[in-house]
Amino acid sequence: MTGRRRLGDWYAYLFIGPSLLGVVAFLLLPVVIVFALSLFRWELLSAPVFVGLDNYTRLAGDGEAWHSLWVTILYVLLCIPLQTVLALALALMLDRRIKGVRILRSLFVIPWMATPIVMGLVWDWIFDPRDGALNRALDLVGVTGPDWLSDPAWALPAVALVNVWQHTGYTMLFFLAGLQGIPKELYDASSTDGATPAQRFWKITLPLLNPTMFFVTVTNLIGAFQAFDTIFVMTDGGPGGGTDVINFRIFGTAFREFDFGYASTLSMLLFAVILLVTLAQVRFFGRRTTYDLS
Amino acid sequence: MTTPLRRTVLYAALAAGAFVSVFPYLLVVLTAFKTRRQLSTTEPWLPGLPPSTANLAEILGGDFPRFLLNTVVMTALLTLGQLVFTTFAAYAFARLRFRGRDVLFWLYVATMMVPSAVTVIPLFLIMRELEAVNTWYGLLAPYILGTPYGIFLMRQFFKSLPGGLEEAARIDGAGPLTILFRILLPLCRPAIGTLAIITVISSWNSFLWPLIITSGDETKVVTVAISALKVGIGVDRGLMMAGGLIALAPMVAIFIFFQKYIVRSVVLTGLK
Repeated sequence: MTGRRRLGDWYAYLFIGPSLLGVVAFLLLPVVIVFALSLFRWELLSAPVFVGLDNYTRLAGDGEAWHSLWVTILYVLLCIPLQTVLALALALMLDRRIKGVRILRSLFVIPWMATPIVMGLVWDWIFDPRDGALNRALDLVGVTGPDWLSDPAWALPAVALVNVWQHTGYTMLFFLAGLQGIPKELYDASSTDGATPAQRFWKITLPLLNPTMFFVTVTNLIGAFQAFDTIFVMTDGGPGGGTDVINFRIFGTAFREFDFGYASTLSMLLFAVILLVTLAQVRFFGRRTTYDLS
Repeated sequence: MTTPLRRTVLYAALAAGAFVSVFPYLLVVLTAFKTRRQLSTTEPWLPGLPPSTANLAEILGGDFPRFLLNTVVMTALLTLGQLVFTTFAAYAFARLRFRGRDVLFWLYVATMMVPSAVTVIPLFLIMRELEAVNTWYGLLAPYILGTPYGIFLMRQFFKSLPGGLEEAARIDGAGPLTILFRILLPLCRPAIGTLAIITVISSWNSFLWPLIITSGDETKVVTVAISALKVGIGVDRGLMMAGGLIALAPMVAIFIFFQKYIVRSVVLTGLK
């Protein structure tokens, strides 16, 4: 029996071996390295110099880095509430048997597979002040549109809009699946009790969508905090640092200024922020009860 | 219940939303087939007549086909690796008993929390130590051994299969490999299809890692090549959109033919 068990063990280790190598070498080791490097000064050409917490002291007084963090938070706040509400509204509209519902669902999901680099360039052109589709359309109704991506007030909302455009439809799919999991009897019972549609939404639909809401906000937030591709091709962090999100600053510090130690410190900052936000969501959603209907 | 007026408003809202969803794709197609003159004389949302293939010819006449081939090779290898290694690992975690299983699985789940933005710098430095910068090895290695997220999804699916499936085969003396290939894998086709589609899309669209780890033409992929079109004086929108059209077309084709697998990726997360 034990011999057989041993053999089974070896099979299992063989099966998970390659993926375990990947997890250790390319996920765990990098986390260790990025933490260690945040304590060094290293420009790649000479040997790394241990500087203790110097990079963190520098970070504390680095106005540009905090500005980047602030821009990132604004970007997330522009993206997540809007795309979550839009996705939920779309799901509610499409969770019924109306003509063309399947095609409509497909059309809403199609932005999700777009190559972000390509769509960054497309939206860059839509936002072009003179020849872009948006300002041309505004011209038709007699409005002169701003120079979207060069205007400090508009650049960040503009790049955030691209993210909303890309992710709303796919998020809607999760809400649709969630809506279809809500037992219809609950709605029937509430109708007999004389509940209004608004009451039904707030008292039944939304609480029962809690697990879905948790999943989509956690994954979308983690994604939005790491925004990079569209900003790289649309604004290059500009105008005047207006779209200089933290991931973009990390990239620039490491691969344009070759300051790998400080870039690692910035990475630690991003890691900490994402962890904190995720933990806050776990607590927030954990406290609100979902009804166990099984 | 639904009045004609409400119905009209509903359809109008949905149609407007659908138009916004599709418009950027439309713009890619329209612009890719415009000459430079048509580009400056027509509205962006109108076609240039007659359509011109000059942009496509120009971009396909350069190094672009080579970068396209690189993207195809990268996507194929990453998807193959992900499917093979993820399936084996997920099978072991879901259906085999072995010492350390739960600890290892929690380790995997924990690493799902590590943002890719945080690992980019150390991965680059690891590849630099291994002298793998600007090589195929460096481009592929970090993502070819399967991702914790994929393993998590596949494990969920393996666990959802009835427990008695393997019993009869095991009594007949079948080993884990036979059980996996003869009994479980045929039942896993929907999950494997979904994992394949997700991996194809994310590999094809990937940008930051290829941008950092490759610099020469031998390993340059389409996304990096397209992003370079914006640099320099006098941005040629027609040429950029022609490149974009070539990059997007396979993804749209996948979407049209394998849509149900994409919808299933939502169900696979176990949220209903």
